[in-house]
Amino acid sequence: MNEMTTTWSTMREVQPVATRMLQNSIVKDRIAHAYLFHGPKGTGKQKASLLFAMRYFCEQADKSYSEPCYECSSCKRIQTGNHPDVHFIEPDGQSIKKDQIEYLQKEFTYTGLESNQKVYVLHQAEKMTTNAANRLLKFLEEPSRQTVAILLTENTGSVLNTILSRCQRIQFHPLKSEDMYEQFIGEGIPESTAKICAALNIGLDEAKELSQDSWFAEARRIVIQLIDKVMNPKEEGYLFLHQVWLNHFQERHQQELGIDLLLLWYQDLISSHLNREDMVVLTDQLDRLQQYQYTISLSDAKTCVYELLQTKRKLAYNVHNTLAMEHLVLQLQR
Amino acid sequence: MKIVINRDQLMQSIQNVMRAISPKTTIPILSGMKLEANEEEVKLTGSDSDITIESIIPKEEDGIVHIHEVIPGKVVVQAKFLPDIIKKLPEDLVEIEADGELNITIRSGKAEFTLNGQDPEEYPQLPVLQTENSFQIQTDLLKTLIRQTNFAVSTSETRPILTGVHFKLENDQLELVATDSHRLASRKIAMNEETDSLSFKNIVIPGKSLGELNKILDDSQDSIQISVSDNQILFRTKHLFFLSRLLDGNYPETSRLIPEQSKTEVKVDSKELMQTIDRASLLAKDNRNNIVKLETKENNAIEISSNSPEIGTAEEVLNTNEISGEELKISFNAKYMIDALRAIDAEEIKIQFTGAMRPFIIEPLDEGEQILQLITPVRTY
Repeated sequence: MNEMTTTWSTMREVQPVATRMLQNSIVKDRIAHAYLFHGPKGTGKQKASLLFAMRYFCEQADKSYSEPCYECSSCKRIQTGNHPDVHFIEPDGQSIKKDQIEYLQKEFTYTGLESNQKVYVLHQAEKMTTNAANRLLKFLEEPSRQTVAILLTENTGSVLNTILSRCQRIQFHPLKSEDMYEQFIGEGIPESTAKICAALNIGLDEAKELSQDSWFAEARRIVIQLIDKVMNPKEEGYLFLHQVWLNHFQERHQQELGIDLLLLWYQDLISSHLNREDMVVLTDQLDRLQQYQYTISLSDAKTCVYELLQTKRKLAYNVHNTLAMEHLVLQLQR
Repeated sequence: MKIVINRDQLMQSIQNVMRAISPKTTIPILSGMKLEANEEEVKLTGSDSDITIESIIPKEEDGIVHIHEVIPGKVVVQAKFLPDIIKKLPEDLVEIEADGELNITIRSGKAEFTLNGQDPEEYPQLPVLQTENSFQIQTDLLKTLIRQTNFAVSTSETRPILTGVHFKLENDQLELVATDSHRLASRKIAMNEETDSLSFKNIVIPGKSLGELNKILDDSQDSIQISVSDNQILFRTKHLFFLSRLLDGNYPETSRLIPEQSKTEVKVDSKELMQTIDRASLLAKDNRNNIVKLETKENNAIEISSNSPEIGTAEEVLNTNEISGEELKISFNAKYMIDALRAIDAEEIKIQFTGAMRPFIIEPLDEGEQILQLITPVRTY
């Protein structure tokens, strides 16, 4: 077992309630047939599901002890994704596709390969189409013996009620951003990146990646440029959007990150209007913030935040990126 | 691990095992083939998790030496390129060696390949099946049983349990049943005394697995051993182990579906009936249900007809050997009937009807073979 391995006891420090509930259900032999782990990104849902699966299959499991051994062949194979009776389903692109659910349905009807124990982990369960979710319902209604389904989601609102009511819900609380910041700094991530990642609730691994990524550095520079353009009525924000922004933020997750970064700017503007400098995230840009505080009023900043959130929603509904961004820039310039 | 082995023998084993390996598996280790060598034999394993095939090459058989050199060990080798590599090697002898770092070297003559292997500890652990839960049957008989029932399994996933064939062993009698809820195929055989202590039911084997098994087995008189556990079934011949996962759930009680009395009974030559129905259905094939109509006539004759309003009609009178009971007009799916007649494979059959809206059964006239086919009719047009 190396230092990086997550155990229930390390999980407990960040997610005391969720961890205790899961540990108790294991120790007291009251494992539900379906769980819904819900909570924001980076709160350890996936690690918890892996731990749970390992303990469920662990060959040296001790009845009164909820930790898996990490060393038996089942534990090892679950970590490498080679255990034949543990199935992970992740959205293929934008949604969990029909054939993925069909695969799962087929698996439900077969016995296990090594034993009759089976675990299914469904990532981003909210990305199931209604059709797919209804197919899954059938299994949740008539669970077969010794099968555990774990659904992970960031957004319970998008999961069908009929599914919610059939799962035991385990809530994963968002991490405190100060805690995350400390963690990032400890891992050697530069201060300004650490602040942004903590504010955006980005997990440790992704934060590390971003801090090494020249794309992200460039993205931050472009965001500042766009802010400069829209704050200055003489500048052509629209032109800048087409010449620079759209070329840089191409993939869906990049587009979302771009808007999140813009959101940080307007949140910081609101913070500085309210004289809450301690809340400001972009501490390296204090000068600019002070300057723009005079350009844009508190209520305007609020309207802009609202517009940004609208744009985020539009992208989620598959509105064309260029159109959504054009609209956004026009609104911000007003 | 190191083995020096005859290429032809190895190639044959690889080809058998490759049948179980699927190129689009979600579990990375299953894209590989496990090689396991000990002093007596070399074992190859392949699996797509639904079925698992193990092929065994003995060190020596009937005085022919297959394996010339062995250092015991095991390794998992990428299956994708293996068959082509072995097939195209220059010499008759192949040397396969794996070092501690999971590098696999394949040598033959002056050709040498080095492949990256995977950790054999990561490979699924197959259940050790107890021999006391097993019985034996002749291979060609098993193949016949599969052929006579497997075609009737359901292909739709709405009732998953029906996609398999139900195996039931009770009172020294083995029974296989398959149904898709429109038709049913059943076959019973009496077992030898060795099974008297053994009985099981609700063992449902996926139709797909049986199809694969049927393909891989030779038509031989050798016996095959069948062992059943909670979650797997093992078919075991001398050098080949075939494991399949089972379907989870309760198979419906099918004996109630089979009517005990009949109102009309027709005895007819099987081949003639099949050809007649085949002809009549020519025009019905475009029609979604492929429906033909059967009507009893005087003088032991039946009329088979089909009617597709847009194309035309077909009619044919067929003389039967005997008709007893009430007059009857009934419609059914021609394909189901032809499948059933093929499965029965008897010269003369009898069909027992219980009215136009009730299922009817087809059995061979000679009752030596306990095979029964049941078909549900459709409403008469």
